[in-house]
Order: sequence, then structure tokens, then C-alpha cells
Amino acid sequence: MSKQLLTVSTSPHMLGGMSVRSMHVEYIIALIPALATGVYYFGWPALLTVLLATGSAVVCELALTKLAKQPTKLDDLHAVVMGLLLGLILPPVVAGLEDACPWWIPVVGGALAVGLGKVLFGGIGAYPMNPVLIAWAALALSWPEHTMAFLDPMPWGTEDPEWVVSTAPLVEFKNDIGNMLSYEMANLWSGMYPSAVGAGGSWALLLGGVYLIIRRIVPWQIPLGVLAGLIGMALLATYTDSRIVEMELETFNDHWNVALFHMATGGLMITAFFLAPEPVSSPMTPWGMLLFGVGIGVMTVLVRHWGAPIDGAFYGVLIMNAATPLFDRIRPRVLGKVGSSA
Amino acid sequence: MSVAQWFKGISLRRPPAPAASPSEAPAPERVYLPLRQHRGDVCEPQVQPGDQVALGQIIGSSESIEAALVHATVSGKVEQIIDISDAEGHPTPTVVIQNDGKDAWAAPDADALIIDNADQVLQTKPSHLLKAIRKAGLVRAAAHGLPMQAELSPPMAPRSYLFMTGIPVVRTIDTLIVKAVDADQPIIPNQAGLAGFGAELEIGIAAVARICGAQKVIIAAAKGADLGQLPQIAAAREWSISQVNGCHYPFGLDSMIINALTGREVPTPYGEPRDVGVLIEPLATILDVGRVLRTGRPVIDRLFTVAGDVAKPQTFRARLGTPMAEMIKAAGGASGQPGKVIIGGPMMGMAHFDLNTPVTKESDGLFVISLAKVQTFSGEPCIHCGRCVQVCPVNLIPAELGKMCQYGHYEEAADKDLMHCIECGCCAYVCPAKRPMVHLLRLGKTEVLARRAE
Ligand code: SF4
Ligand code: SF4
Repeated sequence: MSKQLLTVSTSPHMLGGMSVRSMHVEYIIALIPALATGVYYFGWPALLTVLLATGSAVVCELALTKLAKQPTKLDDLHAVVMGLLLGLILPPVVAGLEDACPWWIPVVGGALAVGLGKVLFGGIGAYPMNPVLIAWAALALSWPEHTMAFLDPMPWGTEDPEWVVSTAPLVEFKNDIGNMLSYEMANLWSGMYPSAVGAGGSWALLLGGVYLIIRRIVPWQIPLGVLAGLIGMALLATYTDSRIVEMELETFNDHWNVALFHMATGGLMITAFFLAPEPVSSPMTPWGMLLFGVGIGVMTVLVRHWGAPIDGAFYGVLIMNAATPLFDRIRPRVLGKVGSSA
Repeated sequence: MSVAQWFKGISLRRPPAPAASPSEAPAPERVYLPLRQHRGDVCEPQVQPGDQVALGQIIGSSESIEAALVHATVSGKVEQIIDISDAEGHPTPTVVIQNDGKDAWAAPDADALIIDNADQVLQTKPSHLLKAIRKAGLVRAAAHGLPMQAELSPPMAPRSYLFMTGIPVVRTIDTLIVKAVDADQPIIPNQAGLAGFGAELEIGIAAVARICGAQKVIIAAAKGADLGQLPQIAAAREWSISQVNGCHYPFGLDSMIINALTGREVPTPYGEPRDVGVLIEPLATILDVGRVLRTGRPVIDRLFTVAGDVAKPQTFRARLGTPMAEMIKAAGGASGQPGKVIIGGPMMGMAHFDLNTPVTKESDGLFVISLAKVQTFSGEPCIHCGRCVQVCPVNLIPAELGKMCQYGHYEEAADKDLMHCIECGCCAYVCPAKRPMVHLLRLGKTEVLARRAE
């Protein structure tokens, strides 16, 4: 008999090679275009925001997991991705400018995301809601003036940029729906308007999102659901919201433009492709994911037209996250299951 | 590829090499012949240590229909009868024969037929064909294969579970599917068999179809495979050839092929293809049937692929009873220190601990993984990413089942269709947390069955 020692285990003996770390690397790759767009329009302040949020998330992850006696797994890059996403949905930080977002907002945000959103629930895999959005919601409720302090874009290369705090399109929209028409659609889609660091560049987010879908990191059902829900509800709103009906839009194209406006502004694109499909807090079954997405899209428009907050995309995700266990009950039919033969 | 398949299952990272026709593996010095090489009953030894045996002589036999006769696959002297672990890992009484290198054949059996062409098959009584097949000790050439006589003849009694569900029970076979694809790439005995087939293929298909009574014969071939003369032969006999997506794992598995070609669903967990009127046979089996009928001699070798980290991965005609160590040698030796030796393919095969385990009628290949490349599972928590749900070919929610089995909620898991899992391993393959999904699901199944048996 041979003396050689062989490993024995259950099948499969070959794995796909994906790890939590490589999955997060893909997320980071997919976020690069959005980050680049943010830096292009908002310069160093944008980069500073992202760095502060990421640094804070990483340091807090280290400290809090030690404190909570959880295994510290910084190398799975989850804290980095969380910090990155949080930085991208906050306004750019400018030191010394009155009314601008102060430096401690991303820092507190990173800590909240890791502490309140993740470690408190037991780490990755255990939290019920998207930790990034929990942090964002906490910031937005506590310091609304800071989380809405967006800057006027200054494309990279502008001599001595003078940062000016300005109002986001959605705020204008809230004040008077007619303001919607004063924006160039091309500017809205490229991100040239006062917005959060990375939430404005719709084309860039679309690019990153499609990459994630092709790499099968993000299931296509959720982004598709969000966009479908948003477009459907936005079109419905153009026919029912009395303020828009008064505007007497003539062609279908005008109605369609309202949908495009909703798609390009606020946090919708980053929600559709990055925040809603966050693995832990989103559903897993095909139809569940689709409905989850539709729910978020519908919610966004409802809040923007008729709700109290400015934008509904992020709150929509949080609320739908709470319903994730319900969506997971919508199962596909099991192949080969006949009668009650279990 | 149907739309559903596009989204389900996994594409393996390494595309399979095109199948070359099988080559002859050298006969080993010593063969180890387990007295059970299939699912079913063990044979009684018919020889004593010290006996001289001829090639093809019966060395183990049994009256049971679920036991296949065992023949000597070399001529020489019986050394001893010992217990060694077979392809399934169970200790099995095994006859060890020392090869004298003469390959002297035993006298042919009285029931053996010598058939030259498929037309002659159609004039032979099915019972005679079946008898010849039984005497040749044929076994369905796949893991957990039944002896062919049990596979081909109707079962003694219909099984009760189907009655309780109230669905009509079909027990007559109307369709024969010849599977010329292999589910578990790169173990490709069937594809290699297709690359080098001769007259025995036509005889084999005709004989099996005649015995089981199937009116319709479908040959499932991989997309892009070189079919040679097969289309002409098939057209003359009114057999159809279907290109299936066998290389996209796990759509080469039996139940998946049946579903794709006939639209029928094999009832899980206890159902068999027969329950939906289908007999599905690997091409390797069909070729063996053809060879037995053509030569009148029992089968002494089988199509056996050696792949993975070996110098020259290829498909052999390997003598039954050749130890795995010899097969690795025949393929040019392992590259690097072998860390895992798997009987079967990388996705569904069984890891073995003993290189003396022989090639048996139910083992279709050997997959070697070198020590440096052995992958391990981890105890990380599930991150609820849903990738396993996307790939599961039977539409389960593996993540949820895995958690339930991990924490001992076995009955709850059974309610969520745990028992319908076909253990294909796709969920474990894609899992970013590297959870041992199949291990957990098997644990759960075992516990459920144990509790129900109580
Ligand atoms: S749950 Fe079972 S059938 Fe589904 S992918 Fe996993 S092993 Fe395959
Ligand atoms: S693939 Fe793994 S981590 Fe993802 S849901 Fe399934 S079991 Fe959980």
C-alpha cells in the first residue's frame, strides 16, 4: 500500500476562484469611472471626501471588530468599498468654506457605517440593511444642511477654482417643479451639476454598473427593476401630478424627459447599480430581486413628487431592505418536484 | 442553449480539450478486481488463491439480478482475496490476479452471441440479447451504475412513493437517449468513445433499444463534436441526433439532458429516468454492449480518462482492476506532488485516499490535483450574495439550505426542498465566501434520512 497522503473532501474539487475579496476588488474597479467623474468636476475636495470616508471606515473596522471580539477581516476589502460608496454619496468637503460640508461628516459617516451598520449586527453577512445608507440616513437626519451642501462644478483645469455652495436640481425641483426644465439633459447625465461626489456622473455609473453585471457580480434583475420602476412611476407621475399636468406637456418626448431627469439626478444611478444590489441586504431569488428593484424605483419618484425628504432613492433602499426576507419567499419552482413527494 | 440555461449553471474556466480517440493502456502486473463494481449486490468468489485463470474467465458470480458477473481481465495466477476500498470507498472483497502476460482467452460462454451487424440484432430475441449481456457482466458505465440486466429489464415492483403523489406512473420506456457528452469535464470517456467508434456503436444502440423497447432513439452529442459517420448511420435507422449543451456544466447530467431533449422532469429525489419513460445510457456502455455482442467475449477494459495535473491527459482503454497509480503512470505521471486524486470529475467525483483503488466498471476517470493547487473551503459566513441561487440548476435557494443544515435545522431544510438537490456543486463553485455547500447539504440529507428511518 502506498504511503502517500492525499486530501479527501466532498465535491466539488474545483472552485470558481471568486472570493469576497475579489468581489470587492471588482466593485472598486467599477467605481473608478464614477470617482474619476467626481474628481473631474469637484477637484480635490471630492478626492478628500472619499479618502476621509474610506480611511475612517477602515480604521473603525479595525478598532470596532477588536472591541467586539469579532474576527478582523480588513483584507476582504469590505470596509474599503463601504467607505468608498459613502464618500461618493456625500457632498465634497471644502476646508474653510462656510456652509460647505465639514471634514468630519465623512469621518463620522465612515464610523457609523462600520459601527452602526455592520459590526453591531455581527459583521459581513449578518446586517439587515445597507450599512452605507444607514450611515447616510443618520447623517442626513442629524445634519441635513451639511449633507445637502453641494458645490457648483468646476471642471478639472479651472484656474484657482472658487468653490461655491449651490442647490441641487432635486431641491430646485422640490421648490418648483418647473425648474426641472432649466437644466441641460446632457449636463445632467455627465454629472455637470451640483451633486454628491460620485452620484452625478450617470454615464460613469452606468458604465461601472454594466461591468458588474457582465462580471456577474451584480444580478441584472435589481438594476433593471429599479430603472423600470422609476421610469414607470415617473411617467405615471407626469400624467397625475397636478403641477406637471398644469405644465401641459405636449409630446410623449416631454414626458420621457421627466423620466430621464429623475434617472440622472439625486442618487438614483448609484442606487440602482451599487447600493440596491449590495449583496448582504438585497434579496436572492430572481423575482424577489426584480420586485425589490421596482419597489425602490417607485419609492424614489413618490418621495420626490409628494414626499417630505428631497430624494427617495436611499430611503427606498432602506425600506425595501427591511422587506428583503419577504421578497426571498418568492421562489422559483423546483425542477423535478412533483406532487408532495418530499 | 436555451434561455434558462444561459443564466443557470457555470462555465468552467478551462475549456475542454477536443476529444481524441482512446488509446490502449498497458496491462498492469497485478489486477485488483472487486467483486462488486456497481450499485447492487456483491458476487461470490469462484476462484481460490493459487488458481490459474484465463482471460475472461468468470471469477465472481451471483444469482441476484442486481449483481454483475466479474471476469478475469488478465490471465495468470490468483494471488489472494482481500478487502480493498472500491471506487465508492467501501471495503469490498477483491480478487488479486498476477498477470502472466500471455492474455490467453478462456473458452467462450455458451450464451455468447456473435453478431456482425445491426440487422442481425433485430432478428435476435431480446431475451437472448439480455442473457448475453448478463453473462458478459456489463454495468452502466457511470458512477452508481446498475448492472445492465437490472437497468434494461423492468423492475420487479413499482415503487410506492410515486403512488402516494397521485401522478401517473410510466414504467414502459419509449425513448432511449444515448449520451455522447460528458457532464463532468475534463473527464470525457463518452466524447472520446465517439471520436473512435466502429461498427459496435450501431449494434450497441440497436440492441439496447430492442431490449428496452424504446421506439425513439436520440443521440445527444456535444455541440461542435466531430460525429464522423454517425449522421448517415442514424439517418438509415431513423435515430435522431441532438446537439446538447453538454459542456456548460451541469447540463450534461442525465436529468438535465432528459429535461432538455424531452421536456420531461425526472421526479426527485427518488425518481429515475425510467419513471418518465426514458432510458439514458452513456456512450461508453453502448460501445461495450456492441463489443460484447460482436465478439462474444466479456468486457475486460473500459474507457477511462486521466486528466488534471498529469503530463499527458488522455482517454484510455484501461483493463478493469488496474490500480490508479498505474493509470497515473500511463498518463505520463503526475506533474508535481499529487494532493488529491479524484475518481470521477472535478465537480462530482470522489476524492480517494488510496492509490491502489482499481479501475472498476463504474469509474469513468481520474482527476489529479497537485498539492499546490488543492483548494479549500472556509468557515466564513454566507454573505447572502445570491450567486448560488443564480446558478442552481434545480432552482433551490442553496444559501438558505446551507445555513439551515449548518445550524441543525434539518427538517426545516427538507421543507424547503433540500432533498431535491442533485449535489452538482455549482453553488459551492461560485460561492465567494467559499462555503462547503455540498458538504452541508449532504450532511442535511443524511440527517433527514436517518431521522425518517427511525
Ligand atoms: S443546491 Fe444542489 S442542485 Fe443546487 S447548485 Fe447546489 S449542489 Fe447543485
Ligand atoms: S454563493 Fe455563498 S455567500 Fe453567496 S449566497 Fe450563496 S452561500 Fe451565500
